[in-house]
Amino acid sequence: MTSAKVLVVDDEPQIRRVMRTTLVTRGYVVGDARNGEEALEKIRAERFDLVLLDMNMPGIGGMETCRLIRSQSDIPIVVLSIRNAEKDKVEALDAGADDYVTKPFSMPELLARIRAALRRAPLLGPGAPEVLNLGRTVINFATRRVTVDGAEVRLTPKELDLLRYLASNPETVLAHAKLLQTVWGPDYGEEVEYLRVFMNQLRKKIEPDPSQPQYLLTEPWVGYRFHLPKKT
Amino acid sequence: MRSQVVKSVRIVGALGLIGSITFVYCRVATVNSVTAALTFLLAVLTLATRWGLVEALAASVAGVLCFNFFFLPPIKTFTLADPQNWIALVAFVVTAVIVSHLSSSAREQALESTRRQREMERLYTLSRNLLLLDGRGPLAQQITYHIAQVFDLPGVAFFDRTHERIHRAGPHDIPVEDSKLRDAALQGTVFYDAAANTAVMPISLGGQPIGSLGLEGSQVSETALHAIANLTAITLERAHAQDIATRAEAARQSEELKSTMLDAMAHEFKTPLTPIKAAVTSMLTDDCSSPSHRELLHIVDEETDRLNTMLTEAIQMSRIEAGHLQLHRGPHSMRELVHLQLQKLSESSEGRAIAVDVPESLPLVRVDPESIGIVIGQLLSNALRYTPPGSPIAVRAAALEGKVVVRVEDCGPGISEAEQHRIFEKFYRGKQHRARLPGTGMGLTIAQEIVRAHQGTIWVESQPGKGAKFSFTVPCAPKESTS
Repeated sequence: MTSAKVLVVDDEPQIRRVMRTTLVTRGYVVGDARNGEEALEKIRAERFDLVLLDMNMPGIGGMETCRLIRSQSDIPIVVLSIRNAEKDKVEALDAGADDYVTKPFSMPELLARIRAALRRAPLLGPGAPEVLNLGRTVINFATRRVTVDGAEVRLTPKELDLLRYLASNPETVLAHAKLLQTVWGPDYGEEVEYLRVFMNQLRKKIEPDPSQPQYLLTEPWVGYRFHLPKKT
Repeated sequence: MRSQVVKSVRIVGALGLIGSITFVYCRVATVNSVTAALTFLLAVLTLATRWGLVEALAASVAGVLCFNFFFLPPIKTFTLADPQNWIALVAFVVTAVIVSHLSSSAREQALESTRRQREMERLYTLSRNLLLLDGRGPLAQQITYHIAQVFDLPGVAFFDRTHERIHRAGPHDIPVEDSKLRDAALQGTVFYDAAANTAVMPISLGGQPIGSLGLEGSQVSETALHAIANLTAITLERAHAQDIATRAEAARQSEELKSTMLDAMAHEFKTPLTPIKAAVTSMLTDDCSSPSHRELLHIVDEETDRLNTMLTEAIQMSRIEAGHLQLHRGPHSMRELVHLQLQKLSESSEGRAIAVDVPESLPLVRVDPESIGIVIGQLLSNALRYTPPGSPIAVRAAALEGKVVVRVEDCGPGISEAEQHRIFEKFYRGKQHRARLPGTGMGLTIAQEIVRAHQGTIWVESQPGKGAKFSFTVPCAPKESTS
């Protein structure tokens, strides 16, 4: 039984009821909020392990709530939304969400996604470095700290997992599906847009020039490759 | 006719004036030849200024004769004794003719400039009136009326080529046949009829003839005619552009409203579905319920899915109809798109074997992956639903002349020729399945609209009892974008 603490943010009382009942049965500790403002207050007041966030809410709305949570915390956020267009998904991921589930969803699927958001990707490969020194950027996987030119940069757990997996397999082309299954979980594989958004965010954070990436390279139509520049 | 009578009366008047001067100088106050000559010149000058060249020339001829006969010796003969008198007479003739000509042309010019000024004023009034036209009555009719009124013309006709209508205005009907107006518009040629005092000219904008204008009356110069034609063309074009802008704005607002309502509806209907689906799937994962309860829960679950599919399709259909189908096209691999859909369908396909022949060597296609995913998913789920369990299904793709053809084949009951034409129609459902299998009749219509938006085609080949082949084409991505 898990005892992870989940915050359900939805303006619909029936959704909060069904989520609370189901999650409590499965051993989660559940808190709920009726809107974004209330959610932000609760996150400030107590520690949660995961946020289930509705997009269409009165007040500041889900997207802004997502941005505000992400600006102050790296807690995993799973967005629940009625919209299923790719642009809506990309927008939510850009705002800092870790996953996006379209309503109505089946409970087993949501539970799998909650587990995926909570899990940490196993450190694969014996050659995985503890500290990666890229010159201006230094990544310490053990302490989960990243510094660029001495200034600390915050990576979300999923961003760090993705970077760690790529860095532990330098100069290897990693296919989309392989990356998704390793970092998010075995139920993933189709969500190529997740990778696009997360890679963009990683590039913004660690690349000297995100538009001309040196480390995180795209292999068109296949996947991504971590390039380790040779030290001079 | 009237002007000829006036002219004749004036000539008689001019001759009378010369006669009167001669009479006064011969009988009442005798003067010398110089005074007489100067008086005659003064009379000619006055006539040329007031009446015109013909009257002045008539007076000049009469003046020369009278001057010679009554004032140059030998008097009362047309002979001249002194050669100096010849010089005087010739000087008189030349001066009279030059003076007549100069003063009449000065008068003509003054008249012409007055006429031009008046014309300019009228053109200005017309352009102001045309600018202030309102929506009352047909625009072409209003233009015709204003031209007739401002230029004080007896008759004006305007042929509106767009609406194939002829509008007329003015006190009486302009004597120009309809066919002439049409010819002028079609051929772009100008017709003048001096006898009937009419002119017909084409009206064109950007080289395109949009109608023709017929005017009756001589007081409009050719320059003004062209100006009127241009003003008419500009007014029509301005109204046309305004009309388009108004309609586009109205359509945009209506589409915006429709889209907002759709989103609201989708939210309203899908919101209660969410806790139902979550609750029922949650109960299904618990092992504590009895088999009959589980069966009932499955029914609730399946019907929730069905309701959700119907809502999704209705929203897609309305978006397409409202012109909201937004394609984010880029180069994509058809092989990946097909595999993605097969993966999504793996649950509902209940382990049915689907043969896939989509070669890796296929060129990339330029598509919106989400929409084309819907098309592939629709064709595959139709094949799964409408064919007996266990019968083979295949999806194949091949490159063909800059396109990729995707084909979904099944060995189901097939579709009759009559129905093949109708299955892409909105809400149409095959007779055999209408009652037995759930569906909205929108899936293939949506697929067709998406394929069309990609400049592709979708079709079906089938024979009853021999299965069906649904195919669609999408364009390949240009070579440079695939690198």
